[in-house]
Amino acid sequence: MALNKDVYKAFEDVVGPEYISNDPAMMPAYHQVQFAAIILPGNTAEVQAIVKLCNKYKLAFRAVCTGWTGMFPPDIIYIDLRRMNRIVEINEKNMYAVIEPYVITAQLQAELFKRGLHMNLKGAGSNCTAMLRGHGHLDQTTSGDDRNHLAIEWVTPEGHIVHSGAAGSVDEWFCGDGPGPSLRSILTSAVPPGVTPGVFTKAAIKLYHWPGPTRFPIQGTSPNYSLSAIPANFMARYYSFPSVEKMWNAEIKLGENEICFELMGFNVSMVAANITTSNEEDERVFQEMNREVRGPGFFVIIAGNSAADFEYKKKVLEQIVGENDGQSLKSVEDPRIEGILLCQCIRVSASIRETFRAGGAFNSIPVMGQRDLTIRWAVGAGKAKEPLIEKGLIVPDGGAFFGWGVEQGHLGKTEIFCKFDPANPVAKEAVEKWQQEQSKRAFDERYFAMTMGPQDEIGPALANYHLWWKKVTEALDPNHTSPDAGALV
Amino acid sequence: MGLEQYKGDMGMCCRCSCCKFIPMQQVQGHQYSTVCPSISRFDFHAYSGGGRLNIGTAMLDGSLKYTDKLLHIVYNCQMCGACGVSCNYAMDMEVQEPLNEIRIKCVEDGKTNPALEKVIKGLRKQGSMVPAAGKRGAWASGLKLKNVARDKADVLFHVGCLTSYDKDMHKLAIATAKILKKAGVDFGIAGDNETCCGGRAYQMGYEKDFLRQAKKNMAMIKKAGVKTVVTACADGYQAFKVLYDKFGLKKDLEVLHISEYIDRLIKSGKLKLRKKTGMAVTYHDPCRLGRMGEPWIHWKGKKIPGDRFVFDPPKEYRRGSNGVYEPPRDVLKSIPGLRLTEMTRIKEYAWCCGAGGGVGESNPGFAVWTARERIEEAASTGAEAMVTACPWCEKTFNEAIKESGSSLKVYDIVELVENAL
Ligand SMILES: Cc1cc2nc3c(=O)[nH]c(=O)nc-3n(C[C@H](O)[C@H](O)[C@H](O)COP(=O)(O)OP(=O)(O)OC[C@H]3O[C@@H](n4cnc5c(N)ncnc54)[C@H](O)[C@@H]3O)c2cc1C
Ligand code: SF4
Ligand code: SF4
Repeated sequence: MALNKDVYKAFEDVVGPEYISNDPAMMPAYHQVQFAAIILPGNTAEVQAIVKLCNKYKLAFRAVCTGWTGMFPPDIIYIDLRRMNRIVEINEKNMYAVIEPYVITAQLQAELFKRGLHMNLKGAGSNCTAMLRGHGHLDQTTSGDDRNHLAIEWVTPEGHIVHSGAAGSVDEWFCGDGPGPSLRSILTSAVPPGVTPGVFTKAAIKLYHWPGPTRFPIQGTSPNYSLSAIPANFMARYYSFPSVEKMWNAEIKLGENEICFELMGFNVSMVAANITTSNEEDERVFQEMNREVRGPGFFVIIAGNSAADFEYKKKVLEQIVGENDGQSLKSVEDPRIEGILLCQCIRVSASIRETFRAGGAFNSIPVMGQRDLTIRWAVGAGKAKEPLIEKGLIVPDGGAFFGWGVEQGHLGKTEIFCKFDPANPVAKEAVEKWQQEQSKRAFDERYFAMTMGPQDEIGPALANYHLWWKKVTEALDPNHTSPDAGALV
Repeated sequence: MGLEQYKGDMGMCCRCSCCKFIPMQQVQGHQYSTVCPSISRFDFHAYSGGGRLNIGTAMLDGSLKYTDKLLHIVYNCQMCGACGVSCNYAMDMEVQEPLNEIRIKCVEDGKTNPALEKVIKGLRKQGSMVPAAGKRGAWASGLKLKNVARDKADVLFHVGCLTSYDKDMHKLAIATAKILKKAGVDFGIAGDNETCCGGRAYQMGYEKDFLRQAKKNMAMIKKAGVKTVVTACADGYQAFKVLYDKFGLKKDLEVLHISEYIDRLIKSGKLKLRKKTGMAVTYHDPCRLGRMGEPWIHWKGKKIPGDRFVFDPPKEYRRGSNGVYEPPRDVLKSIPGLRLTEMTRIKEYAWCCGAGGGVGESNPGFAVWTARERIEEAASTGAEAMVTACPWCEKTFNEAIKESGSSLKVYDIVELVENAL
């Protein structure tokens, strides 16, 4: 649907002709979808004006930060927030940073390291926005952003500017729940498909102490980067265990002792993907590592605040791993590999090598919850991958799943995916079927409910949350300017 | 095969946006973390490497019609290769090659840029990418250099269009000749018989014109019997070294950039740099000497059917790892007293000077905008001068300095070496 000239002009008046386009050449570049227009506001006032125009002309809109993920229907106003890329404040004393949507994690993290601080790193990667909610590798110590989001600036679907938390009453961003209004339950959801309607224009995120160097000593040229030295009091290891139970027991104990900076339940296929620079090398290294491991495992980073703290943590780690018959993967003990993994897991977050490099696509079932429970389900989902591997439809990974500890393990993330070639329709269909069946099994066997699943089935089992969410969005968005926002995650 | 051969590669783009930034682990802060001048200037995703690949896919399936905007996107790209390097950190796919093919397709479809058309007309007529006022070899008058058309020489010094015809750049050719003489190198020039390497025509999408120039040059080289070509221009270097090889024309010709050659001469004791300087400099890696100067890898194969984007035989990608990065730095380090401080964006993830891909001609404002960003980055190191190794970079930086009023100075590496002799 083409916008009529006057409507286009109204949007153009907000941002200027340079920052709006409905040219057909733009559309395939973005998402192979024909939008009514793509518009790039430069500040919150412009976002607000755009949203108000959308209400006036009954046009749906969707905002993006980097635009990596999300489903975008045609004919909407696509708000690309790329120009809103300022780090508004790094408050060292109160340990929070206020940022705009197009600050990516790599940028903010690098600024924080210089100040002895760091932040949650989304598993998606440091190429993603630092502002939206996410979970990732460092959750063991930083938790996820549902905890880390403090005050937020939000342009509601009707075009009001709301400052939640402290920013609602004073010009400070230190708290998400007051003294101003707390909208945590609504505003935490920006990961598809649970996208809160409206546009987040600024967010304060919580910062943490960084015990590492101001900058990693990287050597080599891309893609063969490594560290010239392992930073003082840092260590990375991969441990495999004879059984899932032993692995899980070790994971719990490590959490109780609060000694791991990161606890990432990588499988060896992901370790191999991370340390290699091509698909061929990946396949070879995976096979080698697969022969070396005892069974399921995890990757840990120990980061000491002092030499004594480091020694203590190492000792505890060795003891717990030993008690559970864990075995360190020798290749990761090689300082070159150790350095690569430190960078991959702290600075890059690895997900591209792990997911897209192999075949160009992956379908995943991610779940937050209690690791012991979700791991049990994931073992079955892994077994269900095996026939697909045998038929050559998905990349062989030993039927592996992964996950990580959150907040020293009292919560956790478990995820399992299939990598495949999207140009192969048989593979695509088989993977989608696997995804549906395993999500259904998770629900039927009461492990968890995938909210991407059929709402009418899942909702009643979860206090009819879907009906409540509908009511909330109805109230927030009477003009239906937000295309189907999906379900709350 | 043209663009078609990269259908699979373009389809691999996962829209991660890494191509807009320097490799993630090299990001040192908010500033100087971006790598693509085009998306940085024009902001719409279409101007990024990934956006361009998606456009390429749409061009192939016939769903995209030419519009002014499409041509604006296509021609406002320095073809600098930075997007490919950042992408290929994690992904196995071609990026720069499909971008070349998109341009070539536009030119073949008659969708050209008027400013570039003018340049190519000049090339066809005068064998030069810049207006050819006077004689090409005029800079060498009185220097008593060998001319490979009549004299036997081990090495051909290919001067390049800009250095030959722009009087302000003659100093670079003269400095190069002086250095080679001092080291006792048996070299010659082609003088008035020299013709454009064709590299910049290729960047602009004019593949046929490039090939014509390449064949002319290789015929001349064969006739002269030289085994080694030394260029003092990064574009020339990439043309002879990489593009001629890509099209099977280079054969066993040895191609060296002057910075590599000087490095070799210093390391073998044939050239001594004695004069001290107290200068603090930073070094700008020209795209076509650095990441784009990586040797061509000949490969022919087929995708293995199945779950992965892998080939038989396995495909080795040019990821920017093997460009010419150390030789110019080693040369600078051997100048007594010179202090070299690095910028944030260096080597394979250096920010382009702005002149590549014909942007200097098609959109001079954008070229200078790009150069200004680099000038600022160079100044932020505390250096008083930026050293480069390509006349096109020097020219664009000087224009940016003039416009911005910066006090930074720009030198070509041969100027500093000449001063240190
Ligand atoms: C390979 C891969 C791995 C991933 N792994 C993880 C993981 O481990 N942990 C995790 O938490 N997530 C993961 N994700 C999802 C990920 O969190 C998001 O893709 C990413 O963090 C969002 O950042 P972005 O800049 O790409 O956002 P975008 O792609 O721009 O946006 C994501 C969604 O949020 C909406 N949105 C964007 N900006 C705004 C805004 N300002 N206001 C309102 N709505 C907005 C968009 O419309 C879109 O639907 C993964 C995604 C991929 C592709
Ligand atoms: S070209 Fe490469 S880096 Fe850019 S979006 Fe596509 S996959 Fe990512
Ligand atoms: S070649 Fe250079 S200017 Fe063109 S899209 Fe890639 S990084 Fe940007």
